[in-house]
Amino acid sequence: MSRQPAAASSSVISFVDVVQRFRVIQERPDTLREAFARFHRRRISYHDFDAVKHVSFDVEHGSTLGLIGRNGSGKSTILKIIAGVYRPSSGQVTVRGTVAPLIELGAGFHHELTGRENILINGLLLGLTRRDILEREQSIIDFAEIGEFIDSPVKQYSSGMYMRLAFAVATEVDPDILLIDEILAVGDAGFREKCDQRIRSFRERGKTMIMVSHDMEMVSKLCDRVLLINKGELLEDGRPEYVIARYKDLVEHPSSVPVAQQG
Amino acid sequence: MFELTRDIYDYRELIWALAMKELRVRYKRSVLGFVWALLNPLLMMIVLTLVFGTIMRFSIDHYAIFLLSMLLPWTFFTQALTYSVESVVGNADLLKKVHIAKVVFPVAAVVSNIVNFLLSLIPLALLVLVLRFPLHWTWIYLPVPMLGLFLFTLGTSLFLAAINVFFRDISHIIQIILSAWFYFSPIIYSLDFIPAKHRWLFKLNPMLYVLNGFRLSIYYGLLPQLTSVAMSLACGVAAVLIGYGVFRRYQESFVFYV
Repeated sequence: MSRQPAAASSSVISFVDVVQRFRVIQERPDTLREAFARFHRRRISYHDFDAVKHVSFDVEHGSTLGLIGRNGSGKSTILKIIAGVYRPSSGQVTVRGTVAPLIELGAGFHHELTGRENILINGLLLGLTRRDILEREQSIIDFAEIGEFIDSPVKQYSSGMYMRLAFAVATEVDPDILLIDEILAVGDAGFREKCDQRIRSFRERGKTMIMVSHDMEMVSKLCDRVLLINKGELLEDGRPEYVIARYKDLVEHPSSVPVAQQG
Repeated sequence: MFELTRDIYDYRELIWALAMKELRVRYKRSVLGFVWALLNPLLMMIVLTLVFGTIMRFSIDHYAIFLLSMLLPWTFFTQALTYSVESVVGNADLLKKVHIAKVVFPVAAVVSNIVNFLLSLIPLALLVLVLRFPLHWTWIYLPVPMLGLFLFTLGTSLFLAAINVFFRDISHIIQIILSAWFYFSPIIYSLDFIPAKHRWLFKLNPMLYVLNGFRLSIYYGLLPQLTSVAMSLACGVAAVLIGYGVFRRYQESFVFYV
């Protein structure tokens, strides 16, 4: 995969015939004993599973792309390939610019550490420098509405506070490309409004966003273009209304998928 | 090697933050907090001094200092390995979510233990003074054996962290190997105690060269010979080359196995 600095070119993400293969091992030799046992039996007990099958698409600079599909269709895998977590088994992926994942908020949080300490670690994990973080610290705390609790360990936070802080850190990162995986159900109505606003301002500043969601209302509201993924294949690519209608068809009549396109 | 240095440099702030996090978490729930980093080795040293100074008397003068000069770096080595062997597996959640150089986890585990080790030299110096043992000027030479020790520990850590992803037994086996290795290394005894005809076997142990400089400068007040310094650094560099080689070879598949 090639990672390049942001360029003037209009396409910031490009997938060409990308395959992500997982080796599903039925009895994974987690221990040496099993490895020895397997060596003796000489039996190979795995099968390969393609979570993403020959997917190609381009994402224009400044656009908002939605990925929809049923559970287990490969949407999040595509997001993780963009984030650089997985190296694809074959095909070509080009990503121009910095990427920040909003994948499962608070993954890097440590419960014993205070909110402030977690802001630092999470920010560094997302690629900020210490100086950037210290500069933005107050605006993160204000946005997350944490107040004086910022110096208490996060294990004492309510789940709402926890999610708000994670959201605030991830969106303060200010990447060229923001990846959003089903997270906007954060906090109460008031905070959701702030989140929506922040997402919109992201768009206004010409950033690229890729979002995975099951909330069709949000997808049609925010996205310029939607990809429908089914069983690892790209089924549709186009205007939100059209692709969402196809998705609803698919969910209601799974058998209506054209045979040629089924995996 | 170049890549490793670059990754460590690029991620220095994250590594430091993770190392500090590890230390904070280690001492967080205790009343005395960071003081334990000093108190713990001090108490251990007092126990050893009492045992070997009054109860079991050895022919070695000031046996406690003799022992501690190597026991402290050894303890650092074992603790760093214990932390780093789990470092990749333990951060599975993060590996699956963000793209960062995976070396930061074992490196941070080693760095946090380096901090702990450096702190433990303070109570050692205190003990030396209290026991009226000479505080040799050769203490200032300690950074040289430390470099060998830290490199050797880093290399071993990278190796173990990588293979533990694929075989989780490693984290159990390593404790047994370390205790055998401890007795095989001349820490509680001196190499002179070994009959000359068996001594070659003990000389195959890289830890012998890595630890040697500590005892010479803390206990004997001597500078090691150039060949001994070279051996210690060579062991450290070799460990890093092998450990990082293995780590780099497999790091892309970590995410599929953690």
